Amino acid sequence: MSSRRSRSRQSGVSTEITDAQITDLISKLQQLIPELRARRSDKVSASKVLQETCNYIKSLHREVDDLSDRLSQLLATTDSNSAQAAIIRSLLM
Amino acid sequence: MDSLSLHSNLHSVNNKRRQITHQNSFALTPSWTSLTEQRLYSSKLLHSLRRNSNPTAALEVRASADRVLAATAKGRTRWSRAILSNPICRWKQRHHKKVKKYSANKFMKKTTPEIRRSLPAVQKKARVLGKLIPGCRKVSFPKLLEEAGDYISALEMQVRAMKALADLLATGAPPPAPIGLS
Repeated sequence: MSSRRSRSRQSGVSTEITDAQITDLISKLQQLIPELRARRSDKVSASKVLQETCNYIKSLHREVDDLSDRLSQLLATTDSNSAQAAIIRSLLM
Repeated sequence: MDSLSLHSNLHSVNNKRRQITHQNSFALTPSWTSLTEQRLYSSKLLHSLRRNSNPTAALEVRASADRVLAATAKGRTRWSRAILSNPICRWKQRHHKKVKKYSANKFMKKTTPEIRRSLPAVQKKARVLGKLIPGCRKVSFPKLLEEAGDYISALEMQVRAMKALADLLATGAPPPAPIGLS
């Protein structure tokens, strides 16, 4: 575990810079998570940010899965190429 | 397109050591909140789906949606290159994840608000996060955080675009409806 962590560390970057960079990245990640956006003023632990990030990505994955099912069914009933071409034109307008 | 993607992948592999991992490497990624990007994504996705003459299975829709999303990112991020190089990997990863399900210990004690990579909780959650993002199982922690931010923005755009596309298909392609795109 120790060797793995040291191996992944960027060469030439000191620990202090890396820790400051990690803090900044976690703060930016926190802004992207709806669950954590409301607590902008509070300091949330890194573990909490990672947990909510995992939960949010899983929920987005589920949404894409559901939309894939829906699109699959809709495409089966929309067999007209001209109808789909009209959709494409409306998308590009 | 495929040959270009392959060439791009080979190029990125050759330059793996010199790859920039700073935040500047994300400066050129597309703006996932742009309506233009969303419309282009929807158009490309529908074009991709129309290539199948048979009724398209949901898994194929999902795979196309991910490939078009990665193509929109133009291979500038690790997750997009992972999808473009092996589209099937997503489903293998997903099935593999179901076998050993991870349940977070929500009552884990918090010893310090500061970030310490020696904390087991942070490491475990980082490992889980690495499995959720394509191609990020074995990346450094800062790189993982960068990829997560971009991946979330891309997924949000994907959801918006697929919703708008489904709404258009459900209404049977009426005259252009700006409300449906919002």
